[in-house]
Amino acid sequence: METEEMAGDVDHTFDLEKKKYDAEENVKIICLGDSAVGKSKLMERFLMDEYRPQQMSTYALTLYKHTTTLGNKKVLVDFWDTAGQERFQSMHPSYYHNAHACIMVFDVQRKITYKNLSNWFKELREYRPEIPCCVVANKIDADLKITQRSFNFAKKHGLPFYFVSAADGTNVVKMFREMINRALEYKQNPSDFMDEVMQELENFDLEKKEENSDEDGLKAENLELV
Amino acid sequence: MRFEAKRCGVRFNPPSIVLVYVNTETKKLRKRVIPIRNFTKLSDCCMAAEQLKEHPRHRDYLEAVSQGQLEKLHILLQDHLRGLSLKHSLSTFHLDPDEDLNKLDDKELARKKAQMDREFERNRKHKDDPGFVYDLEVDFEKAPQENCSWDESDDGF
Ligand SMILES: Nc1nc2c(ncn2[C@@H]2O[C@H](COP(=O)(O)OP(=O)(O)OP(=O)(O)O)[C@@H](O)[C@H]2O)c(=O)[nH]1
Ligand SMILES: [Mg+2]
Repeated sequence: METEEMAGDVDHTFDLEKKKYDAEENVKIICLGDSAVGKSKLMERFLMDEYRPQQMSTYALTLYKHTTTLGNKKVLVDFWDTAGQERFQSMHPSYYHNAHACIMVFDVQRKITYKNLSNWFKELREYRPEIPCCVVANKIDADLKITQRSFNFAKKHGLPFYFVSAADGTNVVKMFREMINRALEYKQNPSDFMDEVMQELENFDLEKKEENSDEDGLKAENLELV
Repeated sequence: MRFEAKRCGVRFNPPSIVLVYVNTETKKLRKRVIPIRNFTKLSDCCMAAEQLKEHPRHRDYLEAVSQGQLEKLHILLQDHLRGLSLKHSLSTFHLDPDEDLNKLDDKELARKKAQMDREFERNRKHKDDPGFVYDLEVDFEKAPQENCSWDESDDGF
């Protein structure tokens, strides 16, 4: 079946990717949140001039490569960004595959994007039950008073919370740096045994899904690097 | 400026842009109908607006009309060709904080983002601005915290 073949290709790509992640200090951080909450703008603000994303074959997915040093160690960070609109249908599991941390963003001017966090979080935890995650309240420049409010979602799930603005830069770099650290910590954490088991379960799930659904096959095609 | 634009709008049949202006020499209020030709569902509205703005026969009249406005008028005409109602078409230019933007098509989402861009650009700090701080940090923990009403009243969220 054609669908399976495509999915197979993707798995192969991701196996290679996994080796790379294991060999170096290299982490993958994914970004989740509704359309137009500012995921891409945040990424661009953090990366500034370094900003040279690699587009996947559709506009659905953008990969930003970032290099940084922590202590005296060189760390390669792959940021995965995708459009909320695309993912709204159903996100290909490969997006979550081998992610070491997740940044969840909402727009302080739109309640619905805050409410939808629970959907994003639920999906994230289906694939990555363990990885560090944070909640980011973006666009505070548009409504500074909002920073006097507390948002319960993060507290309830024990997630770090940041008030940020991609426009004026408030707390953007702080948030990204802390998430890179947490991604590394997660990766180096020996409690990984648990994660390996989970991963096997995930892969199992992944295959089952791809066999059953043509749409996933289409999405898989989109994930190939240009 | 010889012509002072007062209002502009569209006419769907045939597709035209209508301009009401004052001739500053004669002080007379006039209406000018500019037919939009060779314009289809697939035309690039931004380019069409630019061409119209530069058009030798119309540019003097359109001096006070921004290219953004001309683009918007083209979009209205195009939406009509695409079978959208005027009401729907106009609503795509407004931000409704309760609207679920995940469900929009690319074009409509781009319009919403264009609206958002105004505030974004207004508040934006550029790398070359004096006092720009790359890793700007503000601690909001100290601010008195009140529960957000968005957390009230629901559904096990
Ligand atoms: N005022 C303000 N506006 C912002 C900020 N960040 C983003 N925006 C606006 O929000 C719009 C959407 O931002 P994007 O970065 O494209 O949002 P996204 O989450 O990547 O959206 P999708 O990729 O479609 O899911 C931008 O066009 C900006 O106008 C911010 O910090 N402050
Ligand atoms: Mg984006």
